Amino acid sequence: MVTVAPRLRTGTDVLGTSRLGAARLALSRARGGPWLIFWIVIVAILVLPILLFLLVAVSPRVLGQGDAWFTLGAFRQVLTGTLARGVVDSLGVGVTAGVVATGLGAAVAWAVVRTDVVGRRWWAGSMFALLLAPSYLVALGWERLLEPAGILDLLGVPDAAPRALLYGPVGVVVVLTMKGVPFAYLALSGALRGLGEEFEVAARVHGGGRAAAARIVAALVAPACWSAFAIVFAESVSDFGVAATLANDAHFPVATFTLYQAIDSFPVQFPQAAAVGWVLMAMAGLALVAQTRALRGRSYRVLGGRSRPARRHRLARPAQGAVLALLAVLVAVGLGVPTVGAVAASLVNGLGSLVGDHRLTLDNYSRVLQSPALRSPLVYSAELAAITATVTAVLGVVAARMLSTRGGRVSGKVLDLLLLTAVALPGIVFAAGYIFTYNLPVVNHLGVHLYGTTTLLVLGYLATALPSTSRVLLGNVSQVQESLREAGRVHGSGMLASWLRTVLPLLARPILAAWVLTFAGTLLELPVSQLLYPPGHAPVSVGITKALANYDFGGGTAMEVVAILVALVVVALVWGLFRLLAPAGWHRIGGGAS
Amino acid sequence: MSVPSRLALCTASAAALIAVLSACSASATAASASGGATPASSGAASAGTGPALVVYSAQGYDDPVTKAFTAATGIPVKLVDDSTGPLLTKVAAEKNNPQWGLLWVDGDTAFAALDKQGQLLPYTPATTLNAAGVALTPSDHAYVPVSTTVMAALVYNSAKTSNVPTSYQDLLSSTYAGQVGMNDPAQSGPTYPFIAGLMNQLGGQSGGVAAGEDYLTKLKSNGLHVFPTNGDTLHALETGQITYALIQSSAAAGEIAKVPATATFAPKVAYLPKATLLPGVIGIDKGAPAAVQDEAKKFVDFVLSPAGQAAMQAGDPHGDSLYWPVVPGVNALPDLPAMPAYQKIDPYFWGPLENQVNTFFDSTIK
Repeated sequence: MVTVAPRLRTGTDVLGTSRLGAARLALSRARGGPWLIFWIVIVAILVLPILLFLLVAVSPRVLGQGDAWFTLGAFRQVLTGTLARGVVDSLGVGVTAGVVATGLGAAVAWAVVRTDVVGRRWWAGSMFALLLAPSYLVALGWERLLEPAGILDLLGVPDAAPRALLYGPVGVVVVLTMKGVPFAYLALSGALRGLGEEFEVAARVHGGGRAAAARIVAALVAPACWSAFAIVFAESVSDFGVAATLANDAHFPVATFTLYQAIDSFPVQFPQAAAVGWVLMAMAGLALVAQTRALRGRSYRVLGGRSRPARRHRLARPAQGAVLALLAVLVAVGLGVPTVGAVAASLVNGLGSLVGDHRLTLDNYSRVLQSPALRSPLVYSAELAAITATVTAVLGVVAARMLSTRGGRVSGKVLDLLLLTAVALPGIVFAAGYIFTYNLPVVNHLGVHLYGTTTLLVLGYLATALPSTSRVLLGNVSQVQESLREAGRVHGSGMLASWLRTVLPLLARPILAAWVLTFAGTLLELPVSQLLYPPGHAPVSVGITKALANYDFGGGTAMEVVAILVALVVVALVWGLFRLLAPAGWHRIGGGAS
Repeated sequence: MSVPSRLALCTASAAALIAVLSACSASATAASASGGATPASSGAASAGTGPALVVYSAQGYDDPVTKAFTAATGIPVKLVDDSTGPLLTKVAAEKNNPQWGLLWVDGDTAFAALDKQGQLLPYTPATTLNAAGVALTPSDHAYVPVSTTVMAALVYNSAKTSNVPTSYQDLLSSTYAGQVGMNDPAQSGPTYPFIAGLMNQLGGQSGGVAAGEDYLTKLKSNGLHVFPTNGDTLHALETGQITYALIQSSAAAGEIAKVPATATFAPKVAYLPKATLLPGVIGIDKGAPAAVQDEAKKFVDFVLSPAGQAAMQAGDPHGDSLYWPVVPGVNALPDLPAMPAYQKIDPYFWGPLENQVNTFFDSTIK
């Protein structure tokens, strides 16, 4: 059962009829400005690049990628190859990773937000650390652990069975699930925090058992659950790091690998890549249809002026032990394994092999830390990540508000599809769409010279980060009752002031989480960086990839570890400042660990 | 406001926003760096006031070489340093409006394709090349070979085996069953030229594809292992997953130079006849402003000069610097053996077959 929360009387109830029309007109004008700017940004960073990229599939000549003005040849080629199987595999992987990651994320969120489990802050922090490990590093960690003459072999642990599992669909799903858990955790922890306790209490007061209370809570956080599922699904079907490593080694074709093959050979076949892009977009559409059908016609606005932080469940000693064990296993699998991979590679010279005469050494770290070739790219990437995170946090709130609007407004649905499509398109083709758009001669003739600039790189990062960030925020924003802001307006505050006084305190923590999520995700972002970085200003991820490509596994992974440590310091600093500087009331919703 | 009016307002506002953003970043535009509408004079460009030379390069030594070039000539260079795959993706995506002045990567098949598309400016440097260099130079001089490696070198663990094959047919025997590894051509740039070279050797241009597919199928039946790139295949050799690795000669020489021999791992190299030349190649953008083209020609001349070759050999001594020079009088680094018996394949014939062959490899061999 889903409860429609009580609403305060709106401002229109108390205004006189004569003033109503004028007030509405003024309001609509004032409202129109920010929305217009928002849509302009969306068109510039998402609509144009995606449209032009997808256009190449049917009209390659428009962008100089073929002779035909209109053709469906690219679709014929990709649909008669291995793509058909790749699509089925990707769907299976995406749905499985989405469901499992949402379940695990919900469990972690419940433990951290609603129980007194020991070390809540550390478990919450580990979720951010999980976000930092690129999927390539996660896959590398598993391979170093389980490969022949790998760590388990050297320790004498029999590993034939897990090795067989790793190099197959199970390995792919495990790695992608672990990459998805932080997204699910962030989406669901905010929603659980905002839910308060009154709905569970009401159920229990009316005779419902624990199961009934749990059902009500599950129903009320449904938008966050679906949001988490959709984002993990889209991230999984578009992931290339795992597709190129584990899935490729296991001969388990996924859709993104077909796309990669189209653009990695020369001449590059953008029409075929774009045709696969259409397929990926259709898959994202399926996730949206499922979400829309599940949430249709209900309200989930539970976060209002009367919301109170929920009490934490006191776990009995056995339950405490069981929850701790589960969290430890999860973090060990998600974080420990890639750490092993990074450490194994970065503390060994050469190719990270542990057999033979390879001794453990800190030489790679010393080399990396003394190299100006790392420092300036790291500072450059950190600056861009901070800018991107700030802009994304603001736009993410706006996007989440639009997505959470009830009644199925067309603009919200269009935005939803657009954002999920952006996630479902692998970064490298998304970046190619940016080149198509901003390197068009006609655009240059109009005086727009964005390609090859830091500005376009930031816009590309923004487009990459906004979809997942807005989805993470959706759970929280959809809980905020409109009546809060309207009450502020009735009491004489302007639009911005009422939002700052009533809504921001409720959303401060999730907005900060979104900032951290974006910062962490952008710092080591690779595909957009590779295609859009300005000449002479390589971001840190490009330097790492170049080192790895030149067989300097030790140096490359040491650079990666240093970058991740820097990101962790920034994350800790940001949360520390929030705890020190934010008003006490801003900490109250949910309280405790972030 | 009507829907069309809103659309118009949105479009106009989007254009305005882009213009503002563009103005904010005018100083850093690559467009003004190489693809601007107004070509500047060579002198102005050299003084740093005109369009700068933008170099797209995947070579491990490109950074020190571009710096040495600037120090020697005063011509500023903007370097986009990345792996071959992303660079070629950029070049393809920029086809309507190229931003690169000079492209420098290993392998000539991509340059042959760019030549067919009319994107390369022919240039004949004054430096005379040696026999391998002459063989690698296209008849229309659309691009310039400046170094060469070969594909493939066979690295083997001599601590584990004393059997050394002497031909590719040997690898099909039971002696080598399950012990040979190679790279995936879909992920490793140098590997398609290797496969094309095998095909060329086994059946020429007429029957080579079928003969090569037959050979690879037999190799697969004999337990061939496929790994993503040179580094991964070498890692598999180090960890004992394979005993023989077919990889690029520079990676092989680097491994032998870097890794000290032990009782369990002692890498050595052999070259099976015939190794296929894999040149380091420079091409100049035909659409670049004249000043940039002049600078690019000077860059090619510098790279082929003793100073340029010295910078190339010093820049990545355990990696890409391990090449065989195509300039007479320049010796290869001491870690390289004498150049093996080689063949040169026609990139204009074999280049367009890359997708077809890679698809076969992906579906049948991996």
